[in-house]
Amino acid sequence: MKNMLKRVSLTLAASAFAASTAMAGDLVITYDDLNPAPKKAFEAAVEAFKKANPDVNVSVNITDREAHKNTIRNALQNDAPDVIAWYPGNRMGPFVDAGLFEDISGLWSSDPNLSANFNAIKPTMTRDGKQWGVPYSYYQWGVYYRKDIYDKLGLSEPKTWDELLANCDKLKEAGVTPFTIGTKFLWTAAGVFDYLNLRTNGYDVHNDLTAGKIKYTDPRIKKTFDNWKVMLDRCSFVKNHATMSWQDAIAPFAKGDAAMYVMGNFSVSGYKDAGLKDEQIDFFQFPEITPGMPRAEEAPADALFIPANAKNKDEAKKFLSFIATPEIQGEWNKTIGQLPPNAKASVNTDDKFIVEGMATVSTAAGLAQFFDRDAPAAMAKAGMEGFQKFMLEPGALDDILANLDKVQAEVYK
Amino acid sequence: MASSYTVSQTGADSRYLTSTSQVGISAVALLISLAALLFVIDTGQVQELFGLSRQVEARVPTFFIRVAFLIVGLAAAFFLVTGLSVYKRNRVSFAPWLFLAVGVAFFLIYVIVPIFQSLSYSFTRWDGLYDVNGVWTGEWVGFNNYRLLLDDPNFYTSLWNNVLWLVLFMLAVPVGLGIALFLNQTVTGIRIYKSLFFFPFVISQVVVGLIFSWAYNPEFGLLSEIWGWFFCETKVNIVGNLTKVCSVDPPSILGDKDLATYGIIAAGLWPQIAYCMILYLTGLNNVASDQIEAGRLDGAKGWKMLWHVILPQLRPATFIAVVVTVIGALRSFDMIATMTQGGPFGSTNVLAYYMYDQAVGEGVGRYGYGSAIATVLFFIMLIYISYFLWRMYQDEKEGH
Repeated sequence: MKNMLKRVSLTLAASAFAASTAMAGDLVITYDDLNPAPKKAFEAAVEAFKKANPDVNVSVNITDREAHKNTIRNALQNDAPDVIAWYPGNRMGPFVDAGLFEDISGLWSSDPNLSANFNAIKPTMTRDGKQWGVPYSYYQWGVYYRKDIYDKLGLSEPKTWDELLANCDKLKEAGVTPFTIGTKFLWTAAGVFDYLNLRTNGYDVHNDLTAGKIKYTDPRIKKTFDNWKVMLDRCSFVKNHATMSWQDAIAPFAKGDAAMYVMGNFSVSGYKDAGLKDEQIDFFQFPEITPGMPRAEEAPADALFIPANAKNKDEAKKFLSFIATPEIQGEWNKTIGQLPPNAKASVNTDDKFIVEGMATVSTAAGLAQFFDRDAPAAMAKAGMEGFQKFMLEPGALDDILANLDKVQAEVYK
Repeated sequence: MASSYTVSQTGADSRYLTSTSQVGISAVALLISLAALLFVIDTGQVQELFGLSRQVEARVPTFFIRVAFLIVGLAAAFFLVTGLSVYKRNRVSFAPWLFLAVGVAFFLIYVIVPIFQSLSYSFTRWDGLYDVNGVWTGEWVGFNNYRLLLDDPNFYTSLWNNVLWLVLFMLAVPVGLGIALFLNQTVTGIRIYKSLFFFPFVISQVVVGLIFSWAYNPEFGLLSEIWGWFFCETKVNIVGNLTKVCSVDPPSILGDKDLATYGIIAAGLWPQIAYCMILYLTGLNNVASDQIEAGRLDGAKGWKMLWHVILPQLRPATFIAVVVTVIGALRSFDMIATMTQGGPFGSTNVLAYYMYDQAVGEGVGRYGYGSAIATVLFFIMLIYISYFLWRMYQDEKEGH
């Protein structure tokens, strides 16, 4: 009898304890980058949050980025975490449309920091007039080049299309392939296409194309491809790019066989790992093509979202507004060498690429996410295959564009 | 005397009687596990019943609980059936079905039902998502996916590549036979040579794919090294590094739409030849020596001996070699996934990979379209499998 009483009271105590921890709040976060620097930055942010909110019981899952792309579907529909990492733009579209992400417009309007300091990036977090997530980082794209080769040939950073083409001519004369690229995984070609399209036709055409409002056979898009053809002829790319990943493509760049690389800022650590020194590499904005066209840039953001099935939405919102603060955003992006979306956050002024990136992005007329984030995944896949095919067989352009129109008609139905 | 007779009589009868306690207990267990499976766990009623919050629910791995109840239920059903008098009377005809039941159930759940599911998905547009309330988000589109397929150049590329795989992979059979004949001799250390030839089959397909894609690499691969001896020279480039300049560029096998599929097939043939070789080697062990002697006496040698005496005796080995090679050709998925991911621009896709690419891969999420591709692949395989089953059936008949 005594034993029984003891057991009952123990159970009661245990359940009371369970209830009390549930009241204080749990928070389950799924993050998607296992690379050392991003992991460290994320964990530091979580630690800071724990310190500021000791009553919240935080648990963290970190998964591989590529694997996350497949597992997120399950995660959102079954055992949803409270906060999950994903991409804004059209990539969040299917989940928003299926009602699997929580609408956090309320947080965006009530949190003074979120409503004041994120104006540049807010459109990419918006769908159907509502906000669905909070960005923690983004990075600029542009042309990374070998400064030592440029200096040796007496070249300067091109501001216009003609200057770029003239530089290419000189590089080729000197036996240097102007551009390196690795298109095995397709998306790198989309970076080149996006820039040519942004510079030829501007930000609105980019958005209309990726939103399915413009056909690929449209004369404006054809003009982009005409420019690309000129680039292929005069600013040739390394041979064999179809068998190389973006990391493989660093090899000819590091060796000095190629002089330029249209890439995102995350690639800088790759150049340094390949043995290049800070003074050997530099960055310039993709040059102007159509004179007077407002300069829009590629600046893909990474963000955190709250699944609609989350169990602790209040804690999740608390966490999102915490990671939006200037201090956290500054620390986080210093660690990973990227740009903080919060305009008030400090940046690492010792890193010349971050300084140039900030200058590039903050003065841009518009920020594009990237072809494969702005366009729906099915369209992006077909489109990027088309870009790769065009780079290998420029003559097949008409077939490629006609086929993309077919896919577009189906995907945006 | 009389009493003992009655006892044995009732004893004999009771063997066929339903044992109430066994049936009763197992019926209760079955009901409980069924209720748990269908009702309680699924609707969260247990949680409400005991006043537990949803937090706790998330921590309890409901999947494992369900599996546990499924096993309990199956065991209960087994004991229930074996306790019935009907079963006891017809034990001999019932027992095989009882033992097959588990296998049949799993075959139904994991093979037959998904076939019909993917058939039905192929008539829909669906991105693979259910909404928050678990409602399916797709829509019915009739034959639209099939109409799109007929108009999709990538589909024809994949289909053609499937044909290429099936035809060229068959090379493994004669080449395997050739190597087996070559190795079928008694020399010292022949076992070592045999194992060396068999070695590639032991390596995982993924590793084979990696090895070949390195060998093919036009920058640093084995092939480009050999190419370099003939067509390339080393020069110093603008920043003083050594670089290779070629008068004729080495072929970029996996980057060329016309070569890539052949490159992958060649890589796939390497282990497949080893497999066919080992099948023929075992077959050759069983070739009757008296028939060879008889053939010799009749003046057969060389090709004639091979064609008229050896090969007919190797027929079972040939049959198996062809079957495993066809299966190997249809399983080309691993090689393609490791070597090219279907690229460049989809030119090395086969139907299986294209299906994966459209439905699951990289979040493309065209589940309806992927299912339509799967259905086409299913019917193509059905033709082959029916032929195979028919052959087996004919052989069985001859055997009896």
